[in-house]
Amino acid sequence: MALVADLQDELDIVIPTIRNLDFLEQWRPFFQPYHLIIVQDGDPSNAIRVPNGFDYELYNRDHVNKVLGPTASCISFKDSACRCFGFLVSKKKYIFTIDDDCFVAKDPSGKEINALAQHIRNLLKPSTPLLFNTLYDPFAEGADFVRGYPFSLREGLPTAISHGLWLNIPDYDAPTQLVKPRERNTRYVDAVMTIPKGTLFPMCGMNLAFNRELIGPAMYFGLMGDGQPIGRYDDMWAGWCAKVICDHLGLGVKTGLPYIWHSKASNPFVNLKKEYKGIYWQEDMIPFFQSIILPKECKTVQQCYIMLAKSVKEKLGPVDPYFQKLGDAMVTWIDAWNELNPPPQTAAPAHPNGVKKN
Amino acid sequence: MATPTHLLKDELDIVIPTIRNLDFLEMWRPFLQPYHLIIVQDGDPTKTIKVPEGFDYELYNRNDINRMLGPRSNCISFKDSACRCFGYMVSKKKYIFTIDDDCFVAQDPSGKLVNALEQHIKNLLCPSTPFFFNTLYDPFREGADFVRGYPFSLREGVPTAVSHGLWLNIPDYDAPTQLVKPLERNTRYVDAVLTIPKGTLFPMCGMNLAFDRDLIGPAMYFGLMGDGQPIGRYDDMWAGWCIKVICDHLGLGVKTGLPYIYHSKASNPFVNLRKEYKGIFWQEEIIPFFQAAVLPKDCTTVQACYIELSKQVKDKLGKVDPYFDKLADAMVTWIEAWDELNPSGPGAKIAK
Repeated sequence: MALVADLQDELDIVIPTIRNLDFLEQWRPFFQPYHLIIVQDGDPSNAIRVPNGFDYELYNRDHVNKVLGPTASCISFKDSACRCFGFLVSKKKYIFTIDDDCFVAKDPSGKEINALAQHIRNLLKPSTPLLFNTLYDPFAEGADFVRGYPFSLREGLPTAISHGLWLNIPDYDAPTQLVKPRERNTRYVDAVMTIPKGTLFPMCGMNLAFNRELIGPAMYFGLMGDGQPIGRYDDMWAGWCAKVICDHLGLGVKTGLPYIWHSKASNPFVNLKKEYKGIYWQEDMIPFFQSIILPKECKTVQQCYIMLAKSVKEKLGPVDPYFQKLGDAMVTWIDAWNELNPPPQTAAPAHPNGVKKN
Repeated sequence: MATPTHLLKDELDIVIPTIRNLDFLEMWRPFLQPYHLIIVQDGDPTKTIKVPEGFDYELYNRNDINRMLGPRSNCISFKDSACRCFGYMVSKKKYIFTIDDDCFVAQDPSGKLVNALEQHIKNLLCPSTPFFFNTLYDPFREGADFVRGYPFSLREGVPTAVSHGLWLNIPDYDAPTQLVKPLERNTRYVDAVLTIPKGTLFPMCGMNLAFDRDLIGPAMYFGLMGDGQPIGRYDDMWAGWCIKVICDHLGLGVKTGLPYIYHSKASNPFVNLRKEYKGIFWQEEIIPFFQAAVLPKDCTTVQACYIELSKQVKDKLGKVDPYFDKLADAMVTWIEAWDELNPSGPGAKIAK
């Protein structure tokens, strides 16, 4: 079925990888028309094999350093957080990002799921963060707003983020993985819903899409991996920042469909080493994000983000010096974003008119 | 079909409002027969309501309501299913399940019959998670858990006060939507239970609903609707907004999602429009009122919260229409009646 809008020229697919992109073969029917931005983590001398027929740009660490110069310090190394460099350099309105161990899932009828098409539908239709609709997405076919849903809220708000889910290996933290190594997510929940205003959520980066114009500058995946005391909190960090900013600016965040099939269970012991600081730091981070209020004067994403960075340093700095570094990196990221994504040229000043000759 | 286990048999009442008959119970027999029914008969009290054999029940018609509540009976609606809340008040059980008489047993996608009451009980007995959204929905379900990034201090959850079920077939639409989409049927079985986050209101539908009377009962007043009132079909909505504000204040959870029932009867949209139309524009004031409502810290019982809410209703919505003055008074009357019939219940002032 042809999509009403498939956004082929308006969407980039950002994929972080250290090994190869064989997984793209399965996605070929759905992804091939789209431009890929591959962010190669780890050893830059490794050659990443991209399957034939895909149109792509590839950046390794050397490229990241060259493109950004001194601001490259904000981009993580040896962590999939580096993917946000792809968000930075993209010139498109929409981003879809997916991990290289995520494959095409099947719905309960056995049909293969075009995850990208669903994300696009989610992004192009409004969100409804101000009141919960008990039939979930009112814009889905066969659904609507239920009795009692105020009419003034039925236009909804623009959707900034579409957060997809995963069948098979669920996105658990290390303790849960250790306790339940065999648990697999087999439950297909046929719903898309808006996460209500004022409510935070754990945003997973492995199957995610967003509108760069609406929220791009907030999609910084933090300082993780090499030289950092923490890992596996990159997408979480971006998710909390982005949600606070979306709530402030009147934008929507959706979660639910589409599903991908997550094939690889990462090593829980390795994960625990990366996560363990996050596990207790999040007890401070969550109340911080839950209570932060952005001033009315913050009207753009960048303004909101800079304000957030200040608050991070001030309120989370006492928890650990890491947050001072992170607050600085957040500002560096915005500098880099503004440099690579300058605002559209204002109209050239009109030549002063000469005096009209009679 | 294996014999269903009948959890909480002696701790749960099933409240059913009706004006005609209870034939629908035949289909529910395997799931509901062990439970005690409280039937609230609306409309003409001289009519005899036929209850299928084998069900243990108490039945109240309008005469009974007037007799039992005396002058306070004016808070109970007449000629509107809102009268069902009388059943909540007279129950002596800890839990209530309420269902409409046009709601039948649904099937899940595998064809299996859905034991709605069992699912409601599971929902009520498991904690809720209103402070942070879990992207895999109910973390206490089999095969699910909290996801990475969910703070550990929030994983115990809070007690669940309300379980809001959904409907296959005829969806719960308002009159304008029914008029525009008369043929739309809900065929989407969404296999999830989720907690409605703190600070977020929702439209609570009374046709497939369960709650913990001890935790939230006094707030489940279904308002002044029907005969002699300017509005109808906003009874459950009103209760839902009140209970959500109070649950958020008291740290209780509200779940929505499974179980589904099969809703067989589409009510007449023209009749509905006449009942609803005031609500449609009043809700534009009602919603901001509830969204902004703040209850003082010293309101630590449901009754205290509810009385406070009634004051705010009078104060802030009274100017929208005199109806809200009456409604606020009725809210107080309801609490008085509740405390009188439930003198030793939680939050009740000790009866003199």
